[in-house]
Order: sequence, then C-alpha cells, then structure tokens
Amino acid sequence: MLTQILWWTANFAEVLLLARSIQGKFVKRYPTFYFYLGSVLIVSLLRFAVFTFRPGSYPAFYWYTQYLAATVGYAVILEIYSQIFKKCRGAVRIANGLLLCILAAVILNIVAGAVSGSAWPPGETMAALERDMRALQSVLLFVIIALLAYYRVPIGRNLIGIVVGYSFYVATSVMSLGFGSLPGFGSRPEWRSVSPVAYLATLSIWCFTLWSYHANPEPGPESKIERDYKFLSEQTKRILSRARSYLKMGGEL
Amino acid sequence: MIQSLPYLFLGLLLLAVLGWWVWDAIIHKSTAELLTPRHLVGLRSAGARRDVGDRIFGSQDWDFVLRETPSEIHRMFQRERTVLALAWLRRTRLRTSQVMHAHVAVARKSEDLQIGMELKLALSYLLFLILCNSLVGWVWLRGPVRTRKIVGQTLQWAAQLRRAFEQLMARVDPASCRVVGTNFNHGTVRN
Repeated sequence: MLTQILWWTANFAEVLLLARSIQGKFVKRYPTFYFYLGSVLIVSLLRFAVFTFRPGSYPAFYWYTQYLAATVGYAVILEIYSQIFKKCRGAVRIANGLLLCILAAVILNIVAGAVSGSAWPPGETMAALERDMRALQSVLLFVIIALLAYYRVPIGRNLIGIVVGYSFYVATSVMSLGFGSLPGFGSRPEWRSVSPVAYLATLSIWCFTLWSYHANPEPGPESKIERDYKFLSEQTKRILSRARSYLKMGGEL
Repeated sequence: MIQSLPYLFLGLLLLAVLGWWVWDAIIHKSTAELLTPRHLVGLRSAGARRDVGDRIFGSQDWDFVLRETPSEIHRMFQRERTVLALAWLRRTRLRTSQVMHAHVAVARKSEDLQIGMELKLALSYLLFLILCNSLVGWVWLRGPVRTRKIVGQTLQWAAQLRRAFEQLMARVDPASCRVVGTNFNHGTVRN
C-alpha cells in the first residue's frame, strides 16, 4: 500500500513539474533535466503496464529501465556542469582538470581489471552495475559541489534545486544499492522503500525550487584586479605563507 | 558487509559536501561583496579591535587580579578571559578567511588561472586553518594568560596580514582604501 502511494505521488509530482516548466516556458532552459524527468515518468508508466499485463517480464524490464535512467543521469550532470561553470572561466579550468583525472582513474581501473583477468566491473547483476554507475555519478557530483562551495559560484534557485535534489537522490541510491545488494538487507521490505522515499524527497525539493523560472545571477562588471590573476595569486600566497609562519613561530615559543 | 562500506562512505561524503555547500550558501553572503567599499569601511575599526586583542591577552589585568583579589576571582577572571580570547581568535580567523574568499571570488573568473598555483593556495589555506584552530584549542585548554607569547605572535601576524590585504585592496580600488589606510594602527604587540 505504501509503495503504491509513493509511486502515484511521485508520478503526480513529475507531471506537475513538467507542466509547470511548459507553462512557465523554462523547459528549454534545462532541456536535459526535463528530458530526464520525462523519461523517468514514461518508464514508470511502462513499468506499471508491464507489471499489470506481463508480470513475469517485470524484474528484467525493471533493471534494464533502471540502467537507462542512470545513463540519462550522466546527461543531467553534464547539464549541471555546463550551466554552473558557463561564466566562470577560472573554475571551469580546475573542474576540467579534476574531471579528466576521474575519467583517467576509471579507464585505468577498467583496463587493470581486464588485464589482470579479475572480475570485469560491470558486475554480477544489473543492480551492481547500477550501483557502480551511481557511485561514479556521486564522485562527479562531489567534485562539482566542492568546486561550487570553494569558489562560491553564484547560481540561481533553479540550479540549486537541481544540484541539491539530484545529489541527494544519487547519494541515497549509492547507499541503498550498496546495502541492498547484501543478502541480509535486500529481502527486507522496509529497505526497498528507501529509494522511493528518497526519490519523493528529491521531487519535493524540485517542486519547491523549480516552481517558476529564476535566472542565474549575472556576474558583475570585471574589476581591474580580475585581469591580473598572477598578481593576485602571488599576493594571496604570500599572505597565507606569512600567516602560517607566524603561527608556527608562536607555537615554538 | 565490508564490500558495502565504500558505497556507504561515498554516499555520506556526497551528503556531507552537499550539506556544507547549502549551509555555506545560505549563511554566507556572496564573496563579491567583500570587494565593495562597504566592507572596507568595516576595516576602519580594525585598529581598535587589535587593541582589544592586546588587552585580552595582555598581562596587566592579570597582574592586577593576581595581586589584589582572592583565588576565586582568579578562576573567574581566567574563565571569562578564555571566552573573550576564543571569540577574538575566531574573528581573526574569519578575517583571514575573507582574504582567501576575495581571492577565489576573483580567481573563479580569471582566464589565466593556474591549476598548480590554485592547489598550492588551497593546501596553504588548509594548513593555515589547521594551525589557527590548534591555537584556538591551545587557548581553550590553557587559557589566554598562559598563551600570551603565542597569541602575541598571532597579533603581529594579524597586523601584517591586514597590511598586506590593505595593499592588495589598494590595487583594486585606491580611492576607498585611502580612508582605510589612515585609520590603521600598526603598533607593536606587547608580550
């Protein structure tokens, strides 16, 4: 019964979000995000149809479509990345460097697995594959959010909602899939409600923040110092090293 | 169970950084504001604040209390001074953080940003925060009177830091900083 309520509420929230974005004409501002929402809604309705008319095919259909949703999730992350760092040329350089490092680490991991002949990472089950995909998503989101916080990139209410909601969902998915794949947890009915509850919380965040369009704040006029990064970084470096050396001197007295 | 721990850790890590970012975005104002003259006006009273620091960590009040009052008052004095000293140190840390925030506010838009330099600065800042927090812990454990020398060095550093920041700001907006410069007190620190 609880699962049914969660399922219908989530569908209703998705329809509401899509309707609001079309009515407010901001669906084109975040096309990938709304494509993700639309695809999740269609998949959800298709699952309902398969469960009703061909219940035997439901488990396989469920995992294949879940894999699809996780794949589209990467496109959402790409949209978040491009929208956030569009006007931050400095932060985007750092982000590119870090994301390339992550990509290299993933490729190395796959190659090392293939060469050593140990288990090929796309796991024993579809659940394990989705768990690994979500884990990589969580690393990417971690880097993006860490840079957002460190560089204090000003972003609008809509993007804050997308980042917070999607990151929350990915974090809970990684944890629930990690624990759900264990024999002791997977069979517990209450454990299976974790993911729908987390998704409903995510939809609530999105309904709250994406009810109407809020543009990203425009950066102010460029000051003189913004053209001289080298000067600025040298100054900051000097300030920090001086601060540190004084504290160290104090500690030794 | 053990194979699930990395996933649990990863999920918690993402939630933690998300929480930090949301808290930071709500609590703190945009760092761009730091570069406006309104904030520079706030620096005008910095000299007075440093004098408060001198007084908090200075020995004259403690010498007087030690000479003229019973041991109960000594304890009360130490307790209250510790609270004051911690508040002062935290404010000093905040002001240094503002320098770093001003840097990142500019660096995020800079086209010629160097990744190596940024990483060095981030590590340097992290190290500074660790040292500063250790000092807070030291004062909390031993009280301000016993840590006079250490804090004396910090006061000196804070004055130099402000001077360096003032020079930095003078390059950005000379007109606003002229007023600040005249109000700064770079006096020596009494140990």
